[in-house]
This record gives sequence, C-alpha cells and structure tokens, in this order.
Amino acid sequence: MTAMPQGMLWPRTVQEATAMLADDPDAKALAGGATLVAMMNARVVEPHALVNLALIDELRGIRSEADGTIRIGAFTRHVETAGCALLRGTAEVVWQAAGKIANATVRNMGTIGGSISFADPGLDYPPAIVAADASIEIASVAQRRRVAAADFFVDWYTTALEPGEIVTAVILAPKAGGASYVKHARVASDYATASAAVCIEGRGTVRAVIGSCGPTPIRDDAADALLSGDRSDAAIASAGALLEARADPLDDVRGSAEYRRLLIPRLLLRAIRQAETSIAA
Amino acid sequence: MSPASAATTGAARVELDVNGSVADVRAGLSTTLLTVLRDDLHLTAAKRGCNQGVCGACTVEIDGVPMRACLSLAHGCVDRPVRTLEGMLETPRMQALQRAFAVSGAFQCGFCTPGVLVAAHALLASDPDPDEAAIRRALSGNLCRCTGYARIVAAVRSAASSLAAPANQASA
Repeated sequence: MTAMPQGMLWPRTVQEATAMLADDPDAKALAGGATLVAMMNARVVEPHALVNLALIDELRGIRSEADGTIRIGAFTRHVETAGCALLRGTAEVVWQAAGKIANATVRNMGTIGGSISFADPGLDYPPAIVAADASIEIASVAQRRRVAAADFFVDWYTTALEPGEIVTAVILAPKAGGASYVKHARVASDYATASAAVCIEGRGTVRAVIGSCGPTPIRDDAADALLSGDRSDAAIASAGALLEARADPLDDVRGSAEYRRLLIPRLLLRAIRQAETSIAA
Repeated sequence: MSPASAATTGAARVELDVNGSVADVRAGLSTTLLTVLRDDLHLTAAKRGCNQGVCGACTVEIDGVPMRACLSLAHGCVDRPVRTLEGMLETPRMQALQRAFAVSGAFQCGFCTPGVLVAAHALLASDPDPDEAAIRRALSGNLCRCTGYARIVAAVRSAASSLAAPANQASA
C-alpha cells in the first residue's frame, strides 16, 4: 500500500490536480495563499497535503475567446485583473472590483479563484461577478461544468463547489455599456462594510447587486426590471428598498446591521450614477 | 505515518533562494516563509505583526514584487527568488529611503518600518516620482499603529527627490 501523499504537491495540469484532490479528501487546493494560509496561521485548517496550483499554465492569465467571451484563469492575481485592458463595457465592474481588493501587496498575491472559493461575503469579487452575469467554470477529475455566478455563492463561506472540485476560470460575456463597483469601507484596505455593483447594458438593461449585506450577493429581479426602465432618483430609491428587503446583514466591527441597511440605497444611487458616467466616457 | 502525525512532524527539506544565496532549511508544510526567515535564517527585518496578511510588517519581495512573508508557505517559495530588506541595503533607492526616514523622523516604535521600506522601495522602482496619493496607495497595506503616516509619506517624497537630484543621477 502506498502512503497518502503528504506535503506540497505540484500538479502541472488541471487533470493532475483534481486527481490528487480526489485521492485525498483532506488535501486542500492552494492558489495565492492570501486566504488559505491566513486560515492555516489561525489554525482554522491544518491540511497535511496542499495541491499547489501555481504551475498549471491553463489557470493563468486573461484572454479573449473566439466567441467574444473573456476567460479569467483561476490563478490570475488581482493585480493582473486590475490592470487588464480587456475588461471593458459591462466587464469593467470586475476590473474596478479587482483594484479595490485589500491593498497593493495582497493584490500581488491573491487570485480570483481563491477569492471566490473562500466566499467571504465581505469580498469585492462576488457582487461584481454576479452583476456581470459571469459563469464559473469548475473542474473535477471526472468532468467540467459551469454555473452562473449567482448560483455559485450558496451561503456564508459556502459555494457550489463539491469536494474534489476546483474553480478553473471566471468567464465574462461583456456587453457594450457601463459599469461601476462602489465600495464603502472604513479604510481603503479593509473588507467592504457594504458595496454596490452595477452593470448597465447599451439598451438600458440594469443588473444591480449589493455586497457584504448578507450571506451571498443580493440581487432582485423586480429591482432590475424597475431600473431597466427608469433610472430616476425615485426609481433607484424604490429598487434600493427591494434590495434592502432581501438583505440579512450582521452587526460587526465594520458597522451595525441597521447602518448597512441605510447604506444600500445610497450606494446603489452612487453606483448607478457612476456607471452612467462610464457609458458616456 | 498517519496524516495527523504528518501535520505535526512532517518537516521536510526545502531549498530557497534568499537574497541571492541558497538557503537549505527544514520546514513543515504549514511553516511560513516569515518563520524560516526569522527563526532559521535570522533575517529579522521582516516582523511578525498580525500573521494574517493585514498589517504589512512582514513585507518582502517574492518574484520581484512585494508580498506577505506571513502568507507565503516556505514550501511554496521553491524556485521563486526572495529578497528581504537585508538584501536591499546596498541599492541607491534603499539608501536614499533610509536617509530620508532618519532625517524626517519617519518612525516612532519602528516595528512597521522594515515593511514600509520594502513597499516604498518597490514603489520607487516602478514610479520614481510618486505624488502623495500614489505613495499612500502603495503603502495602504502597511499599518503604523503609532499613526506616523504623515512623516512616512513625506520621507518617501523626500527620498524620491534626492534620487532625482543631479548628484545622484549617475548612481540612481
């Protein structure tokens, strides 16, 4: 009988990585380390094997596909996403969010796959990729599948990933139009107290998402329908009330639940007006 | 060996490139680069502040860019050059920064200073003439709990000016 692999494992392909994770249910996938190593330092997780995704070429970088979509590999670090000129139109919401994550040093380390797999509600990517209507590509040893970003975030720190699966890419289908990610935080490098991500397509179709005010990013079909026909201050206030009704914020060190509820319509207004400016630009 | 015992006893040899020299150490899977730097290699400029990647006191360069030593596993740094503050002392940029910090009094307790210097060193490499906003952005991941930010920002500005002065043009 061969011993269970231990230590740092260095797969060269997604197939090798998912096979390693399938063989050892206690192994963890390691990307940039910005969240997993912090959890190891806090002794929240103590893996005996780590599947290091750093040498898998397929997971790195951002590219335009023939079908007009943009593929952000899971191991793409925030600094690269924040500097990527391909993320225009409605995809600009993801570009803006990437540049507001933590601080410059952490953006040199953290990756989009690691960030969304952690699924802390205070993160910047979740509301942005839901607003952009992104798809998440997921691999296991047996198959690849795609889920909509809105279905990827399931609960507090819980995603649609099954054991043995990893995120391989975030796929965007940018439309002409504008976008904005507005983050309200105590200081620039903190998690969001609350955030708003808005995409406005050329014909006026709006997707508005609130972050950090519940277990998962908050969207409301009626709010989007209302905003898609009318972006007056009054309509935005009504849409904000619909989103606020779906919120389930916590009281924590960044703000009370009540304060977060007050922020929702205000951040929505600011994000929509900024997105309109980016259409005009 | 059971997985449980591996977690605690599984120190394995790892060869790192630190400040241009080969460092041959033993480290467990959960041992961070910061622990190896400080406890094995006695390179103590990088400080252990929060150990969560928030405070910036452990900032070093990995692959030529500033990263957190506390969020970097030693076994994950194989084949990735690591440069600590100790490895930057001879560069004109670091010497200008150290002079400016001393002249400006840009520290109180000094615990955050090595991480600030590494981040500022990287900033001046990519932007030799940063304005105040650029300095504040570049240092936003370095907390100074003495709150001496105004003098830190002024010192980085002053280092940039001194590097741009004609007398330093040849060496900068």
